[in-house]
Amino acid sequence: MFLSNDERDELRSTARGLLARESSSERVRAAVAEPAGFDRALWHTMAELGWTTIHVPADRGGAGCGYADLAVVLHELGRAITPSPFLASAVLASGALMLADDDGIGGELLSSLTSGAALGSVAFAGTDGSYDCARLTTGWQSAGSSLRLNGVSGFVLDADLAAVIVVAARDEDGAVAAIAVDTTTPGVRIEQTATVDETRRLFTVSFDDVSVDADRMLCEPGARAEALFGNVLALGVVAAACDATGTAEQALERTADYAKERTQFGKPIGSFQAVKHMCADMAIAVEASRAATRAAAEALDGDPAAWSTTAAITSSYVGPACARACALGLRVYGGMGFTWEHDSHLFVKRVKLDESLFGTPAWHRRRLADSVFPALVAS
Amino acid sequence: MFDPGGTLEELRSDVRDWCATHVPKDWRERQRGVSHEALVEFLRWWGGELREAGLLAPHWPKEWGGGFSIPEQVVIAEELARAYVPRNALYHVGIFNVAPTLVHSATAAQRERYLPGIWNGEVWCQGYSEPNAGSDLAGLQTRAVRDGDNYVVNGQKIWTSWAKEADWCMLLARTDPEVKHRGISCLIVDMRSPGIEVRPIKQAWGPSDFNEVFFDDVIVPVDNLIGAPNDGWAVAQGTLAAERAVSILEMTERLRCNGIEAAVAQAATWRLEDGSMALSDSAVREMLAECYAEVHALRHMLNGMIADILRGAEVSATSSIIKVFYTELLHKLTERVADLRGLTAQLDAPVLACAGWETGEWMNDYIHSFGWLIGGGTNEIQRNVIGERMLGLPR
Repeated sequence: MFLSNDERDELRSTARGLLARESSSERVRAAVAEPAGFDRALWHTMAELGWTTIHVPADRGGAGCGYADLAVVLHELGRAITPSPFLASAVLASGALMLADDDGIGGELLSSLTSGAALGSVAFAGTDGSYDCARLTTGWQSAGSSLRLNGVSGFVLDADLAAVIVVAARDEDGAVAAIAVDTTTPGVRIEQTATVDETRRLFTVSFDDVSVDADRMLCEPGARAEALFGNVLALGVVAAACDATGTAEQALERTADYAKERTQFGKPIGSFQAVKHMCADMAIAVEASRAATRAAAEALDGDPAAWSTTAAITSSYVGPACARACALGLRVYGGMGFTWEHDSHLFVKRVKLDESLFGTPAWHRRRLADSVFPALVAS
Repeated sequence: MFDPGGTLEELRSDVRDWCATHVPKDWRERQRGVSHEALVEFLRWWGGELREAGLLAPHWPKEWGGGFSIPEQVVIAEELARAYVPRNALYHVGIFNVAPTLVHSATAAQRERYLPGIWNGEVWCQGYSEPNAGSDLAGLQTRAVRDGDNYVVNGQKIWTSWAKEADWCMLLARTDPEVKHRGISCLIVDMRSPGIEVRPIKQAWGPSDFNEVFFDDVIVPVDNLIGAPNDGWAVAQGTLAAERAVSILEMTERLRCNGIEAAVAQAATWRLEDGSMALSDSAVREMLAECYAEVHALRHMLNGMIADILRGAEVSATSSIIKVFYTELLHKLTERVADLRGLTAQLDAPVLACAGWETGEWMNDYIHSFGWLIGGGTNEIQRNVIGERMLGLPR
């Protein structure tokens, strides 16, 4: 059952209130300075409030609501630029396990994520940040009753926190497999990659002759596994777009407030059209992004066959629009906006990562063209 | 004859069938480059077809020929746009601007007097802008001076669409020169009154459907005042949000089908200067996909605004956002596709005047698109509205 509009409003207001206190600018800055990079107490509160399992079916231990409901939380986490394993674990790993719909090990792992006993992540990008399955840089092969992994996956979110990582790997014939790897397995090495955006943590995960049981394969290799990662990518794209929209919305509100207070030439700078129109352009981007992400999240509650196109449409517009909005916001603050002390750079960095975290808008535009143009030309 | 109240699916398929049998397949070829008079004749014919079908004014109250719910209006607008029917341009002001204002602000007698005329094909124009009052209506100089049971109107209006064909004008005139922002009244003027002179203005893209209108001691009965004296600006603003939303929804669907989707289909037949197919080019594909994604974002915003209207929420700033977004997307698409055509885009003359903003003659459409960036409140004024009303920035 989806939440009603009133229930969604309530969820939004609870989330906003909690994150305003527990994920304020000071708290975010303090959290990213720690080795863990996030606030464990806040994570537990979020799990207790049921945020991490909103979209998980009731028979899998979740609340049985939809992605459109989860989107409310994702938007608020973006507003507060909260550092959190939410995206890696609740969206990507849980999403991959739900899509695999595996009654064996996959089901058990999903329960452990749902109960909050463990965190997960997904490794499905190559070392160059490409999500093209043909360009995966981790390989697999069958070795009797076990599977062997070799290679390196790039840009894995919160890999050091994850008990399990769903790994996308290719065999020598190019068949893609989805393999749930326990991160304590010998041969798995996890190294943090220093990133410009400090509110998210990305890792390089290497596999050096890693051997896992064959039952860790979550679905049939080949087309089925490739489709699974395509859909996980779509979840990631829409989640990152919700996040970016939340961040841009926060940047807009704070920038507009500043433009009302800051005076130069004897007037509030927001009365100057040059500044007013920058704020208006931010508002246009935020409003369109809100509408686009709301529709995208609703589409995730529909037929997964359409997810890929939904994601391509979403990435094509929302990422660049939110990035432009935050960039305008930084400039309205003048010199202050260029200081480390001010939050504007945190917003810009967060949305720039969101924009390409699951494939660049340019790549998604080419994918969108590939998926929708043939029918238009034929008609 | 279409009636409200059935299922949306039936309505959709019925309107689709109606379009298939009532819109001549070759109307675009036949209308391209025709004279102004031939254009007007064609638009009168098309308005008549819509009237007979009961599709002329779906948003009007039922007693006047409408009565379709907002979801029904959306279905009708979508199907008309997708069938690429002619735009009902000649009657647009009467049906979408004047009639809702009358329903909202006029007396029962005034509604009885004017609404049937609009339904039956009387043409209306809107006398708002003046040479010295474009974006700033406070600068309005046309005067209406009370003289017994009449007002005497003197002044000049500009950018008045279809004034030459109009039977009536909804006029804003100053009735109190002392107060700048108030002191304006809304009057209905018979365009056949002595003292009115209309001079067409040729537009940048060719057609001459807008005009200058001069008023020289024009007598207007006091009965023709809409709303209270000196309250004309509020009357003209009215509560038009729903009509505007459905009207721009139709344009958005046209932009999607006849703009972006048509551009993709056409680009499949075009070659770039090096002989390669345009639609095989990565930059071209990305550009078209970007526009495709943006038109979807626009449609989602409109759906949100219509849901807000149905809930009774305030949407004035949202409609400014949508106006800016729509017009700038139209401008961007037409510019980029015209650019893609290179020198061959110069061969786009003559124009097709009543097909909406995207005729597939991309250079003409590009020139035409400036009209929308400026008209209906310039995008710069819209940005002021967004900044002030939505964000609370100081004036």
